[in-house]
Amino acid sequence: MTHVPMVTPERVVLNNVSKSFGPTAALRGVTLTGRAGSIHAVTGENGAGKSTLMKLLAGVHAPDDGEIRLRGQPVRLSTPAHARRAGVSTVFQELTVLPNLTVAENLNLGREPGRLGALDRGASRRRAEAVLGRTGVALDPDRLCGDLSVGEQQLLEIAKGLAADADVFIFDEPTAPLNRTEVDQLEALLVHLKAEGKLVFYISHRLEEIFRFCDTVTVLKDGRLVGTEPIGALTPDRLVTLMVGRELEALFPARPEEAPGEVRLDVRELVATAGAPPVSIALRRGEIVGIAGLEGQGQRALVRALAGAERPVGGAVRVNGDDGTARTMDTRHGTVGAVRQGVALIPEDRKAEGLCLDLPIQDNIWLGPLRGLALWRRARRDAGVIRQLRERLQLRSRPVDAVGSLSGGNQQKVMFGRWLAAGVRVLLVEQPTRGVDVGAKAEIYTLLRQFTAEGGVVLAVSGDLPELIGLCDRILVLRGGAVVADVPGAEATEEGLLALALRDPSGVSA
Amino acid sequence: MTLARTGLTRYTVGLPLLLAVLLALSAADFRQPQNLVNFGGQVAALLIASLGQMCVTLVAGIDLSVGSVMSLASCLLVSQADPVLAVAMALAMGTLVGAVNGLGVAVAGVHPLVMTLSTATFLQGLCHAVLPIPGGQVPPSLVAAATGQVAGVPLPFVWCAVAIAALGALTTRTRFGLHLFAAGSHPRSAHLNGVRVRAVTVSAYVLCGVMAATAGVFLAARVATGDPNLGASFPLESVAAVALGGVQLTGGIGSVAGVVAGTLSLGLLTNGLNVFGVSPFLRGVLTGALLLAAVSVQRRRHVGL
Repeated sequence: MTHVPMVTPERVVLNNVSKSFGPTAALRGVTLTGRAGSIHAVTGENGAGKSTLMKLLAGVHAPDDGEIRLRGQPVRLSTPAHARRAGVSTVFQELTVLPNLTVAENLNLGREPGRLGALDRGASRRRAEAVLGRTGVALDPDRLCGDLSVGEQQLLEIAKGLAADADVFIFDEPTAPLNRTEVDQLEALLVHLKAEGKLVFYISHRLEEIFRFCDTVTVLKDGRLVGTEPIGALTPDRLVTLMVGRELEALFPARPEEAPGEVRLDVRELVATAGAPPVSIALRRGEIVGIAGLEGQGQRALVRALAGAERPVGGAVRVNGDDGTARTMDTRHGTVGAVRQGVALIPEDRKAEGLCLDLPIQDNIWLGPLRGLALWRRARRDAGVIRQLRERLQLRSRPVDAVGSLSGGNQQKVMFGRWLAAGVRVLLVEQPTRGVDVGAKAEIYTLLRQFTAEGGVVLAVSGDLPELIGLCDRILVLRGGAVVADVPGAEATEEGLLALALRDPSGVSA
Repeated sequence: MTLARTGLTRYTVGLPLLLAVLLALSAADFRQPQNLVNFGGQVAALLIASLGQMCVTLVAGIDLSVGSVMSLASCLLVSQADPVLAVAMALAMGTLVGAVNGLGVAVAGVHPLVMTLSTATFLQGLCHAVLPIPGGQVPPSLVAAATGQVAGVPLPFVWCAVAIAALGALTTRTRFGLHLFAAGSHPRSAHLNGVRVRAVTVSAYVLCGVMAATAGVFLAARVATGDPNLGASFPLESVAAVALGGVQLTGGIGSVAGVVAGTLSLGLLTNGLNVFGVSPFLRGVLTGALLLAAVSVQRRRHVGL
């Protein structure tokens, strides 16, 4: 594609802006110019400062230094409401849909129609219908948002952003919970905005989407500007290099040469939830096994049953120890029982289900070894173990730093470190690299491979097929709760896995 | 208005109806018109205070200073001969206390329990300094306004109707009302959507302070004298009434109708036990048990978080 020189006016200029949170500098002297009629990608690894940069424009944070100009005029955007009045509409990464409000109320929140503080429900509903119609989001305006699925909430969030009478739009990683058709829908909307002469900032680290929608790319790294380039001047490889700041070696570690060892985890006729078909699988020492499938095909229930997080209906799980002992896991003892047997879960939502965000790294890690320790025993922390783990995990933060202040990748490493410290031999990982940037992804894959090389077993559920294909020794495909295929990782293809996941659902008992 | 946000369940509405029917059937004294008028007078102050408490509860707060505000209002009332000035002073005091509570919670970040307990203690001390023992005269015109009748309708009912209508309109028909629900369910999301969460929170506490002062004026006028301990039982009773009415103490869910139902339940129970001559000590036991049972069956099912 040939690159046409930009002639449209400058709509947004962030001039030499800096922002620190306490001692951490999130942005250091970044300058960015966004032009009318452009879809402008802002990208970089997690923690690069892209969200912070956009939050300056969205009125969430005020810059410590530097200047923001909108349509040539210097502005101070002190609150989100203020930014919206100035014509900047933001779809935040976190869902801000309120569960106790209806679709229409959420769409109009903060700018409800009506005079003198009175609400005009009719006008609110009509406005909502108009917006939903225009954006092609099929939702009943009177539905309570607590009843919406995450995908529907995200669509509502996008509709809300588009509904605003704005000429600058910010989308902060809007596609994470969306499926393919929904992404296509979003693309159409963005292209429409561009044609209307709006400026769209699109924050993402999904290369595919950046190259599909965007015309300009700004790359940040460690809070500094790496560069702004027209998309035509870049290739995906070049962009990754800019993001990571070094040539990325192979993302996935090589699969081991030798065949896997004896069975470590033996799952027989496990029925995770009532009505689900029984599942029998055997995981061998040294294996990374992936679970693929469409959303909601029983992946979560299976993994949670194995982890002791949810009690299965029937079946048996046997865990074979390093010394050849075989023990049946008693699923009644929950996660504590599972960890005692050396089986642990790294949950998808690590912030809510895994980590204590306010506690330091060392305490989060030490929760692992503490499991199963009697209540009255002294819980002495072993600084040596923490130090070793920190090196192994390549955690650059100090052990006393709160986990909540870490990037997604480092949080995931802390989760991993907790179970390493606990001596776990079977790791059940949901979405191993969700919310993790490119550089840290490779590190996590290496850590998982290292873990299995030492005799561990990993069972990984992921919606990211290239990840499963690159990482796993074999991939199980789940459909309707049953394992319908077992594909060696070296032979798997995205198309093949998708076909297996989709194939004729009528064969599965309804 | 969607049902789920109101917090109303069949238990919330059914409980006062059930109690009323049971009492009407079993106690002839209860059916006496005079008892009904008394009943109206008894619950009016609690209803007004609880409606204020509801506003604070909707933004996930709690106000334990309502009782002290009521007591102080009664002390101020007997200190003035001019009824208009007396009421104005009481309402100004309620506004001020609400503003202090609200700023403490929303701006300084003090936990609502600690903040309002502090102001409650402070004000209680002030009450005793102003009026060490019950006494004084409430201006007669105010006594008439709290106990008289208009066209055969006892005035307490009129005040209740006014309070219900005002708060009902405020919570369901105004932007501020919607923002109470928004700020209470998820302050950060509400803020990102342009709701001025701090201002809404402070306003909720101010509203609660004003309602408490009004309840204090009403109650003092009913007993026609000042009492530094007038409102002592109200902080917990108003929270109980709000909880019985299906308002979620974690914020974002509740309704005026629910608070009316909760107040009636509490009032009917007290009135009924009086009619039957049950010991006041046992009354507390029953009220506590009822509260726990009622709140257990109406925990939020619908709306997440």
